[in-house]
This record gives sequence, C-alpha cells and structure tokens, in this order.
Amino acid sequence: MRDPDILVIGGGPAGMSAALEAARSGLAVELVEQRESLGGAIYRQPIEGVQVIPQSAGARGRWAALSQAFSKAAIPVRFGSVFLGVDGHGYVLVENRQNGLVECLSPRAVVLATGAVEHVHPRPGWQFAGVSTAGGLQVMMKETGTAPRGSVLLAGSGPLLIAVAAQMARLGNPPLAIVESGDPYRRIMPGLSMLGFPKLLAEALGYLKDIHLHRIPWLRGSRLVRIERQGERFSAVVRAGDGSQSTFVCDRIGLHDGIRPNDYGLPQASSEAAAGPVILRAGDCREALGAIAAEADGRRAGRLAIQGVAASAADDIGKIDRQRRAQALLARLFAPVDDRSALDELADDTLLCRCEGKTVGDLRNLCQRVDSLTGREVKHNGRFAMGACQGRFCAANTAALMARFKPEAPASSAADLTGRRWPVRPVSIGALVRAASRDNDTQ
Amino acid sequence: MTEDTFRLMGRTISFRAGESIAAALQAVGVLTYGPDALGNETRCFCGIGACQCCLVRVDGVVREACITLARPGMSVEPMERRNA
Ligand SMILES: Cc1cc2nc3c(=O)[nH]c(=O)nc-3n(C[C@H](O)[C@H](O)[C@H](O)COP(=O)(O)OP(=O)(O)OC[C@H]3O[C@@H](n4cnc5c(N)ncnc54)[C@H](O)[C@@H]3O)c2cc1C
Ligand code: FES
Repeated sequence: MRDPDILVIGGGPAGMSAALEAARSGLAVELVEQRESLGGAIYRQPIEGVQVIPQSAGARGRWAALSQAFSKAAIPVRFGSVFLGVDGHGYVLVENRQNGLVECLSPRAVVLATGAVEHVHPRPGWQFAGVSTAGGLQVMMKETGTAPRGSVLLAGSGPLLIAVAAQMARLGNPPLAIVESGDPYRRIMPGLSMLGFPKLLAEALGYLKDIHLHRIPWLRGSRLVRIERQGERFSAVVRAGDGSQSTFVCDRIGLHDGIRPNDYGLPQASSEAAAGPVILRAGDCREALGAIAAEADGRRAGRLAIQGVAASAADDIGKIDRQRRAQALLARLFAPVDDRSALDELADDTLLCRCEGKTVGDLRNLCQRVDSLTGREVKHNGRFAMGACQGRFCAANTAALMARFKPEAPASSAADLTGRRWPVRPVSIGALVRAASRDNDTQ
Repeated sequence: MTEDTFRLMGRTISFRAGESIAAALQAVGVLTYGPDALGNETRCFCGIGACQCCLVRVDGVVREACITLARPGMSVEPMERRNA
C-alpha cells in the first residue's frame, strides 16, 4: 500500500473534519483510530441493536452531517491502530493491533487529533475499582445503552456532571446526588453572559430540567473529600460549604474536575520539520474547547496540512474564538465556592500517582530536601509521572502540589514532569523490533 | 442482537457484538480485573484508553479492556497471576 500524503490521528470530530478538509485537495488521506469505530469521546457510537443515548438536537445534527460527509468522502480508516510517535528518522509509528505489527509510515503531514482527558483531583480512595471518571461512565453508557448499575454518586465540578446525571436518569438510574464544588446559581455575571451562547445554554437547561424532574440533589459548593470501602460498597464523605459533613453509601462513583488536552508525549507541532513530516495539532488535544471548536479546528488543520503554510480560515477561527469565550465563562460559572484548593489538606497517604503507587507524602518528602528539585528530577527520583499512563492523570496534580510544598522554588509544569517522549502508549518490544528491522531493510 | 462468550479467569462471560471487554464485564458486575504489578486493583477509569488502569492480558497480549473489542473465544487474564 502506498503511504498516504496526509495522516490524521484520531477519529473524533477534530480528526474527521481535518481528514475531510484535507481530502478535498485530492491528496491521499488516511485516518488512524485506536478503537473500532469513529466518533471520539462526544459521539461514541452505540453497539448494534442498542438505543442511542438521547443527546441534544444540536449534537445529533452535527454528528449526522459529519458522519455522512465522511462516509461519502470514502477516506480509508485504519481501525484498531494506535499512534505511537514519530521516530528520529521522521517515520510515523503506528501499532496495528489487528496483526500485532508496528507500521512505519512516511506521510508529508500528520494531523494529531487525540482529544482530551478528564482532570481528576486526588482524593483518598480515588484509586478503588468502582471509582471511574464521570466521562468514563458516560462513554460506557453511550456504548452499551445502559446506565451504570446500583447507586452512583457523581462528584467534582463542571457541566459534564449534570450531563451525565441527566443521561443516567433518562436511562432509568438517576445518580444519588451530584457533588459540585462550584455554585453557578451564585455567579450572576457569567450566568447572564451565557445568554450569548444560546445553544450551550439550551443544552444545559435541558439537563437541569431532567435533574429537577428526577429530584437529583445538586449539592453546589460541596466537595467529596474521602472515599472509604464499606464491604462491597463505598462510603463517600462530602463536605458542604458550611463545613458540615455527610456520608453517602454507594456502589459506584464518577469523578470529574474538568478537561485538558491529551497531548502527553505527542511530538511538537512543526511547520517544516528538518526530517520527517509537518506536524499539526487539532481539536481538544491542541486546546480543550469542546466539540464545536474541535470540528472547526480540524478543518483549519486540514487546510494547513494541504498547504503547509498559514491558510486563511477566518470563519473557523471565529468559531474557535467564540467557543474559547464560552469555556472561559463556564469556568467562572463553576468556579469553586471554597477558596481553599482541593489539594489542600490531603492526607499524606493519599495516592497521587496510581501507576507507580506514589503518595502525597512521598512528594512532600522529596520537596523537603534542601535543594529544590525540578519537575524532571521529581520524575526521575520520585517516579511521579513515570508510569504507564505517562502522567496523564498525575502530572498536573503533582506540579500543583510541588508549588504548594515549595512555593519559593521555580514553578514546574505538567510538561516538565512528563517530558516529550514516544511511544505515546506502551507497546511490546517484540513489535518494535520487528518494525525496526523492516525500517533497516528499506533504508 | 448476537450473543457470544469469552473467558475471564476461567469464567464464561457473554457479550454483545461490538462491545468492549470492559463493557461486557461491567454488564455482569465485574469491575476489577485482578491486581496490577504494584498490587493496585485494575479497573475501567477513563474509558478512552488514556489512563492504563484497565490493562489485562488478552490471549497473552497486554491490552486496555476499555478500547479492546470482546471477541468469541478470547481468553482474558489479569496482569499479575500471583493473587489470581
Ligand atoms: C470521557 C469524555 C467524555 C466526553 N463527553 C462529552 C460530551 O458528552 N459532550 C461534550 O460536548 N463533550 C464531551 N467531552 C469533551 C470532548 O473532548 C469534546 O467534546 C470532543 O469529543 C473533542 O473532539 P476531538 O476530536 O478533539 O477529540 P475526541 O472526540 O476525544 O477524539 C479523539 C480520538 O482519538 C483517538 N485516539 C486517541 N489517542 C490515540 C492514539 N494514540 N492512536 C490512535 N487513536 C487515538 C480516540 O480513540 C478518539 O476517537 C468528553 C471528553 C471526554 C474525555
Ligand atoms: S479505562 Fe483508562 S485506559 Fe482503559
């Protein structure tokens, strides 16, 4: 098979629209998706014979238009294939999980559209099986058409929690409660400004209506501070704004403290690589602004990929700017009521990095050394952000805690901890060695 | 809707065509897939292939349960066998 001119990584709205836009030029475009279906996080497709989860009319319409245009364009998709990185020679490495081989491709441009990951603050007990991200519960609902079973508590902050609660209710199992650290009802100004975004507002009001109808308690200004095992179940300790505590006994917990780009380990964007392809980023992995912006940003990147230079895409840029304003408003609307950070008062035995089993106390000890450690040193000496998830779930929390433990030291970012290394995802040595030997054959 | 089965630690699990391993296991109430190398419980956390908390051995190969399709006859084993 001839190598594609343009390779797009990720089959969500950003990747699909990038591929569509690039394919208009007549160049050979291919898309790589790790799953067996397209749609990404927001449009995760149900399995055969299962009811589609009721989504807002806007989202339904956007998916219908995008998926129809995509099938019409007949762009080849490599399903079950994981992008690993770009090696020193500029080869793009893709693990084909159907045959277990790592394939080396040399496209002229790569558009990375790997989406977002949810941000989750560490809380004692967050590592237990049965505790998931709220978005994780949601994609599972979209896939299976069934709500998680038993009594479910949702906690953290942001509009995704109310969306998940409403969708659970529509599928017949409303959550016990939603624990929300912010209080949008008290934020008058950003609330009024949301009137400028009628589609987002209508979607949110639709969810709130279901929450009301099903009498789901929306505990604003509250925090889930601790999860304990109670036999097969959990007891979850929630602290309200006035300091009073209550305990919920539940079977599952969904956590969500926001969303951030899934850019861990990705190669840097480059317009003219010394060796290898032009690399572009699109959608939530470039800037987490949600589905509408992701699709516009995909088109922008698709156009750039064909031209290799800055294209004029004023209407897409306008759309992206608008969604940036909407997200900034939402952040103000859901700002925590309690000034103390969720990272204050964490007990030393709270797990911070799950992959390597490192705790808040381990980090505190490292930070108490006389010489300040950089993010990189905390990784190498302390194993934070060293594990299989590549720091996706601990690097930002670790960097924030480092700043608390040693405010006088130069601030470290999540990227200082994770560094920029491929493979983006763990891969077997055997598969890499087979790829390397083919690479040598062709040189 | 087609129903099929795979094996999890000797147990027969039915699934629906197109379902991920994690979805099929959740449907029968299985939320952890045995311990990982550090003794942490594996589990479906992020649901999108990012957190690596759901790793299992599928016919011997390490895979994320949340993005790997269940297939008839496959064998799913925990990462570490010592406590299994
Ligand atoms: C769990 C979750 C649930 C969400 N639910 C909603 C929602 O209900 N409503 C909403 O408005 N927003 C939701 N969001 C926000 C969401 O990020 C955006 O709305 C939108 O999906 C972003 O589009 P995208 O194309 O940038 O990324 P995504 O839609 O996330 O698409 C990225 C794609 O890349 C694939 N991928 C990732 N890494 C690799 C790799 N290394 N190799 C190959 N393929 C890879 C993924 O499988 C995925 O299909 C959710 C986010 C998350 C993380
Ligand atoms: S649940 Fe996170 S990778 Fe599978």
